[in-house]
Amino acid sequence: MEITEKKRILIVDDSFYMRTMLKNMLLDAGYDVVGEAPDGKTALEMARDKVPDLVTLDVILPDNTGLDVLKGIKQDNPEIKVVIVSAVGQEVIMNEAAEYGALHYIIKPFSEDKVLEALTNAFKEE
Amino acid sequence: MKSRDQEYKEIFIAEALEYYDALNRHISDLEKSPEDEQLLAEIFRLLHNLKANAKAIGYVSIADVSHKLETAFGLIRNKELNFSDEVVTVLFDGIDMLGEMITNIDSPKEVEPSPALLRNLDIIVNSISENTAELSKVQKYYTSKNLSLSDLIYIQIKKLDHLLNLVGELIIDRDRIVSISKELDNEDLKNVSAHLYRITDELQYSVMDARLVNVGSLFNKFPRIVRDIAVAEKKEINLEISGQDIQIDRNILQIITDSLLHLMRNAISHGIEKADMRKKLKKTPQGNVFLSAQNDRDTVILKLTDDGKGIDQQEVRKAIVQRGFLPAEAAEDLRESEVLSYLFEPGFSLAKEVTEVSGRGVGLDVVKNAIDSIGGRIRVDSKKGEGTTFTLFLPTSIAVKGALLCQVEENFYAIPLMHTDSVVALPSVELHEVGDLLVADINGETITIVYLKELFNSELHEYSGKKSKLEGDVQNIIIVTYNNRKLGLIVDKLLRQQDIVIKALSKPVNTIEIYAGVTLLGSGKVCLVLDVAAITRYFIARR
Repeated sequence: MEITEKKRILIVDDSFYMRTMLKNMLLDAGYDVVGEAPDGKTALEMARDKVPDLVTLDVILPDNTGLDVLKGIKQDNPEIKVVIVSAVGQEVIMNEAAEYGALHYIIKPFSEDKVLEALTNAFKEE
Repeated sequence: MKSRDQEYKEIFIAEALEYYDALNRHISDLEKSPEDEQLLAEIFRLLHNLKANAKAIGYVSIADVSHKLETAFGLIRNKELNFSDEVVTVLFDGIDMLGEMITNIDSPKEVEPSPALLRNLDIIVNSISENTAELSKVQKYYTSKNLSLSDLIYIQIKKLDHLLNLVGELIIDRDRIVSISKELDNEDLKNVSAHLYRITDELQYSVMDARLVNVGSLFNKFPRIVRDIAVAEKKEINLEISGQDIQIDRNILQIITDSLLHLMRNAISHGIEKADMRKKLKKTPQGNVFLSAQNDRDTVILKLTDDGKGIDQQEVRKAIVQRGFLPAEAAEDLRESEVLSYLFEPGFSLAKEVTEVSGRGVGLDVVKNAIDSIGGRIRVDSKKGEGTTFTLFLPTSIAVKGALLCQVEENFYAIPLMHTDSVVALPSVELHEVGDLLVADINGETITIVYLKELFNSELHEYSGKKSKLEGDVQNIIIVTYNNRKLGLIVDKLLRQQDIVIKALSKPVNTIEIYAGVTLLGSGKVCLVLDVAAITRYFIARR
């Protein structure tokens, strides 16, 4: 029964603090956090290895920009959903992210409701 | 229990301080090479994270200053603001301010950013770079006033080694004084020495404690290493790690680092099968490797388990014969645990079967030597088709070891507890001569028995192992274990268990290979520490 299976999430953020907050939030809401990546390279590897259902993606990362990671993930596996979680709220970047297939764009600081709502919506759009 | 908010706060502060240190480093570098875009991008990223985290947790002032600095560096990046001397000063001030606010998050007096600084930041952010004339001098009350130092210090391990050696010497003298005070029977002296005893005890444990690090500091390097080996070997590996919090002496961890790496390489290269083979065997396509640590009193037990193809006992027996360690009949008679112990013999290898890479077995003697050198022991268990487990028993600390004291004639000897298995009293009639060795059946195992009195009184090669040399009807035997093998040592008298400080033997005594070192007992008597590894090796070879 696929419905009862926990959705598998990969968190990509270069800040340990942010990752911890997001992880706790997602675990509490019944998601399975399959990995945490602090940079683009690890993010792409983990997306390949762990094949998560959804990735929460920060835009500013130490190596790649988040948008490159977004492109990379979608190229490898278009099935993986991506939600951007970033403090950068520039319209250009938001539009670009949408163009590359990000489903939602959450601006930091985020409220728990916002994040969970975005994820619920992302999975509804299947 | 820490609340989640408290935990978030601690994480925030730790990460913010890390960012602050990195910012200081990078901005100094940037002064030297203002065109370095990577540096600018990194500074921008750090400030960006600091802002976002501060906003999330609700430290408005930190978020505000970070935001202004982020904007300034954004402008510098886009060449809209010159990295001029005046601007640099304001940026340094801003970063100092951040540091001040972060370090004072927990202090009762909240640090507010100086208005002059905020204004300066606004000026460089909002105006064109020529307008810097308006910049006012920010009074740096904070950096000069309370320069705060971290609660953690880095210390060279060399210094801690020295400290530990001194503690060792001190304990030997202490035991001597305690013993003298008993002999003299002077109340004052007894009281002082009792106090001295407690203080040195505490000192010893404090120094040992200062040297402890988490096993995790080594274990956490393995996910990356395993990944790289797995990629090179074209295998899929699932690594599980547990017990990272277990603590152990830093030098011990250092000494076994290469060994553990070696065992891990072996497990993945030679243990785990390729994915298609695993599927055929009805195993998961991913090979599983478990790395764990646990405490057992004064011992730290590290385990490395793989669910690969395991070690074929028959192949090992064949190799034992082929490489001339034993004649074929003797090899067939070996117990399973004894068979596997040959893997650790120098020059032993199963390389014939796995010539394309280095064979399992190559280098295991090196692993064993490293573990012997710190008084630990290693054990291997394996089942063909199911996998292999290497277990490392390591002392938590180097200097002080638990030991069993015994007496042979007038002399005292210590046997490290790490190697003692059990103590039995056996009627002399149950000892049998086999060649030039004594053996006995103890709990269903045939164990070689060494008569220490004869051993100590003769050259090694002259030791006869004749039953006629034994005195008394009952023999006290200490069973020791080394490398999956047992050996019985006949002593005159068992004394007690005691913590001892082992000193290396000075020449020319250190050529005698049956002693690992020497210690002084409280009575002032010299006590030799037996090298169980060397003695076992010698008698197993003799067999």
